[in-house]
Amino acid sequence: MAQNNTEQKITREQFLSLARLARLSFSEEESEDFIRGFEEMISFCDGINSEIEGDASTIREVGSREIALDDLREDSVCPSLPNEKILSNVQGEHGYFSVKRVVK
Amino acid sequence: MSGRIAKLSSMLKRGEISAKELAEGYISRIEREDGLLNAYASNTFEYALSCADEADKLIRSGRATALTGIPMALKDNICSDGHFTTCSSKILQGFKPYYDAAVWEKLRAQGAVMLGKTNMDEFAMGSASETSYYGAPSNPVDLSRVAGGSSGGSAAAVKADIAAYALGSDTGGSIRQPASFCGVVGFKPTYGAVSRYGLIAYASSLDQIGPLAYSVEDAAIIYDAIRGQDARDQTSLTTASGATSLDIDVSSLKVGVPEEFFGEGVDDEVKEAIEGAVKLFERAGAKVKRVKIPAFKVALPVYYIISCAEASSNLGRYDGIRYGYRAENFADIDDMVVKTRTLGFGKEVKRRIMLGTYVLSSGYFDAYYKKACLLRGRIISEFDGVFGGCDILLTPTAPTTAFKKGTKSANSTQTYLADICTVPASIAGLPAVSLPCAAGAGGLPIGLQIIANRLCDGTALSAAAFFERTSGISSENCGEVKL
Repeated sequence: MAQNNTEQKITREQFLSLARLARLSFSEEESEDFIRGFEEMISFCDGINSEIEGDASTIREVGSREIALDDLREDSVCPSLPNEKILSNVQGEHGYFSVKRVVK
Repeated sequence: MSGRIAKLSSMLKRGEISAKELAEGYISRIEREDGLLNAYASNTFEYALSCADEADKLIRSGRATALTGIPMALKDNICSDGHFTTCSSKILQGFKPYYDAAVWEKLRAQGAVMLGKTNMDEFAMGSASETSYYGAPSNPVDLSRVAGGSSGGSAAAVKADIAAYALGSDTGGSIRQPASFCGVVGFKPTYGAVSRYGLIAYASSLDQIGPLAYSVEDAAIIYDAIRGQDARDQTSLTTASGATSLDIDVSSLKVGVPEEFFGEGVDDEVKEAIEGAVKLFERAGAKVKRVKIPAFKVALPVYYIISCAEASSNLGRYDGIRYGYRAENFADIDDMVVKTRTLGFGKEVKRRIMLGTYVLSSGYFDAYYKKACLLRGRIISEFDGVFGGCDILLTPTAPTTAFKKGTKSANSTQTYLADICTVPASIAGLPAVSLPCAAGAGGLPIGLQIIANRLCDGTALSAAAFFERTSGISSENCGEVKL
């Protein structure tokens, strides 16, 4: 996705493309309302570009560290949840999640 | 102020009341008063009575702890085996987890009595609990006002004493801000101090479980019961051994007052209340100095970028296949997933998923997400610098007292400002407690936030206990319950 002009932060086309990525859909009317709110949110997020007084060299990545293979735990088999418990919440049968046919 | 937990526990241990009678009393109060408050998303009354039977056995056997038999509530995003846990969202309607969260495992083992799940902003996304699928809980101090969010139901239930205490979760202030609005104590421990196993994820690098309680002593008892390293949460940490001491020598305490927390948007009555609290510490001999956290000005956008990015990934699991709600009338499996998510999520959740998807998408990742992560590092560095010369920071918890229902939800980014004082500690993973420190206009509670350095949870709590003891201001007398 290319950077948009400063007036309009997101086009309708870009918005719908994001919606596809997020697996959401919006009616035409909803889209207009959402795009307005969304532009406001992006402007709000643009606040990260504010000037901050003080030493900018303190900027750093958080939580990144090298992990050596020795740090990794051993694989071990633990008890897992029984199928019937997991399927108690959903549409399932014969120990499987049930969905509409995928392969034709 | 003596805690509610100690008082009830002593009655139970002396045999003045059984755990079952106590639970029945709370159940009656919920049935009588929650119609007005809407603090609960669901109740677990039958389970509460069976927990109470177990608690009575523990008491008779002499193995009771301070929390045995005490009726409490879990936020609607903390799992317990076989009980509705819906994040107050349509998409999780009917969902009953098949395991207990680590915090509930610990409390259950001590004979805690769970009354139900408390109402919250949908998926903890909000600052007024108004995004809940069940409608907003009311503030017990003024029913026309919000209880705060996202743990609004927990705060309201504790204030109205329809739960002796409750657990909440805090991502950007969701324990502290509702505690401030309702006039109770809310404690967000150091990130990692309490296991997140069984907490339904919103933003994993920020989410933390903690207590909402009637006194600082109660909050410390609950914190001690739920904290500790847990192999099932890779981010959990080893915490200090032994019970948290609430003793503190204030004359050797170094108190920082960060000036940015008193800027534009913070009401004058809130500023005055916090300055009053600062003076109380100063009079007791604490060394007070004004400090600066310049990156405060980017904390809110950094928080929203990171939390929405993580939320867009965490909420990807709701597809209509594995949990709760599934849409009807779909053409194929892709259509089913899209329709389920579109009909199952509320407006604010969709907004945040969309923003998260945007900041993680190609072309925007560096400008938003990566930059926010770098600025997060700067905020952490600035706090580290400040804690080089201070033990605690005193700030407002929220810029205002509780606002009227329905006045801010239409303007999403305006509501985000309610988190401006709580978000910085969340970004840096610091422990922070909110406790009542004054009553503002209309008798509405104002919260004092005490922030301490990482893993210095005891320092934050003991400084809070000092303030509560010395000021004489507490949940009991700050904000009268109007029920």
